[in-house]
Amino acid sequence: MKLIGENLNIVSKKYGKALKERDAKTLQELAIQMAEAGMDYIDLNIGPAGKYGEELMSWLVPVIHEVVDLPLALDTSNIKAIAAGLKAHKKGRAMINSIMVRPERMEALLPLAKEYDAEFVGLLWGPEGMPRDENERGALCAELLFRATEQGIAPERIYIDPIQTPVNVQQSQIMSALAFMKMFPDIAPGCSSTIGLSNVSNGAPDHLRPILNRVMLIIWKRWGMQSAIVDCFDKELHAIARGQRPELEALVHKVEDGEPIDMSSLTKEEQDYVKTARVILGYTLYSDSWLEL
Amino acid sequence: MAFEPTKQKYTGAIRQVTLGTGPKAVTVGGRSCFPFYTFEGSMPNAPRIAMEVWDKNPGDDWPAAAREPFADVLDDPAAWAKKCVEVYGAEMIALQTRSADPNADNRPAEEVAAVVKKVVDAVDVPVIVWGVANHEKDIEVMRLVAEQCSGKRLALAPVEEGDHKQIGASCMAYGHVVVASSPIDVNLAKQLNVLLGNLGVRDDNILIDPTTGALGYGLEYTYSVMERITQAALAQGDDKLANPIINNIGIEVWKTKEAGQSAEEAPELGDPKMRAIMMEAVTAVSFLLAGSDIVVLRHPETVKLVKGYIEKMMA
Repeated sequence: MKLIGENLNIVSKKYGKALKERDAKTLQELAIQMAEAGMDYIDLNIGPAGKYGEELMSWLVPVIHEVVDLPLALDTSNIKAIAAGLKAHKKGRAMINSIMVRPERMEALLPLAKEYDAEFVGLLWGPEGMPRDENERGALCAELLFRATEQGIAPERIYIDPIQTPVNVQQSQIMSALAFMKMFPDIAPGCSSTIGLSNVSNGAPDHLRPILNRVMLIIWKRWGMQSAIVDCFDKELHAIARGQRPELEALVHKVEDGEPIDMSSLTKEEQDYVKTARVILGYTLYSDSWLEL
Repeated sequence: MAFEPTKQKYTGAIRQVTLGTGPKAVTVGGRSCFPFYTFEGSMPNAPRIAMEVWDKNPGDDWPAAAREPFADVLDDPAAWAKKCVEVYGAEMIALQTRSADPNADNRPAEEVAAVVKKVVDAVDVPVIVWGVANHEKDIEVMRLVAEQCSGKRLALAPVEEGDHKQIGASCMAYGHVVVASSPIDVNLAKQLNVLLGNLGVRDDNILIDPTTGALGYGLEYTYSVMERITQAALAQGDDKLANPIINNIGIEVWKTKEAGQSAEEAPELGDPKMRAIMMEAVTAVSFLLAGSDIVVLRHPETVKLVKGYIEKMMA
């Protein structure tokens, strides 16, 4: 799986401050850590960034590329900032994160993707907001591909994102997004997929977020997810993405398949994986104490 | 082959919780099917109605139609509660300790608790004591109430995450029932029950308050969460949500704009008294269908209507 590091983010206390103060050193240190952690891309989430977006992105892209060679994912709703980032991106192929399936977004951003031969994340968020189920996701996906093809964009440039919802808010939406993955290869042959993984644990206690992210990643992986936007500091998560934890993957698959599991024969870590899989898949209802039950 | 209707398979049942003591004690819960789905399981206890009493004269906080049946007792909470039982056949009393509200009367906890004690002693039916949802004040009041009414099996409400340790401990020490209150969220409802369990509160001493929205004021949110609680408990066998549910309805309905508007202010909405009663009854019936085990109601006419509804549904 390809990994996109999410930590260079305007909402982060440390890095948000560095962005506002144009503190290149702090951001470059993070970029180096991301490269060392084996990230395939670095996400540059500058938020909507208002009228400073263009200037900020023009500054940020070369600052990061001064210390690493990784491609950068330009993560903002600010169209001018995206254009500025694409222009400044000289190492490898840039990624636009993201293009929603809304007419005004597609009209503005697809031509930019074509012009710069960039990759882009196609976020399945439609004119009416979040799709309600897998079928609406399928319809939005088809619409986006139609528009991209019209522009002459090749499928291998496109990463479809079926939208990760938090397990403690909309567990059933996780099931719809997974069900969408089943139809995805037929709807979008040649396209890739990605997911904003950490949102699954949004709102959960901080120290319990990693296990939710890890189990969710195992489940996505089995359903054919090709990349994920992840926490660059969670080494265990990266090991899972690289297939280095086959025993944990097998265990989560057993939960998914409804096979009987003898909890008493498992280590504490394995039991936690089983309990977390049950919560994510909706076999049991989430509560903050799910690992204690 | 004869027609066989599909039947839902249940993996859990709602546990029974008993309030009060003696011959008038009330047991709710015990249901092993969705509300009133007695063709699929059993519903040993009918849902119950608690009549709302305030610990102070509500004055203009109540529309005239709500004050009228109690005009002779509004200044005497004990007499008011007695009237509910003796005249209107209340099976339970829900005493709202409004006088404790720090943003209004802010009556000292000792005085509030003394009035609660008087009401509890005046009636032989179970009493639910509903605080003001101010953690500091509720902790103070409920601690005294729990102690002074030791062994009466009152239900103390609302017990939220922020005060569950203190009020939960008081309930355990003096044998009362906890009304676990969470803000219209099934995951948080479960979490609070887990926390109460960690504290040592026994499962059969917990009622769930999902937070109640009145008709036109969020009823559907409460309804959905109650459905999810009921589904988790019965279809998923989620032990931590298998508790009876209580809805504090009267206070929510009667504070709405429409329940308080006079015939002159809103002629298009019809007779003000009947309008408010119908709003209260419709809210109550909706929640009974979503799995409520105790509905707290204000007006005697609503009580009569909802009682008749429950009798028909249970027949």
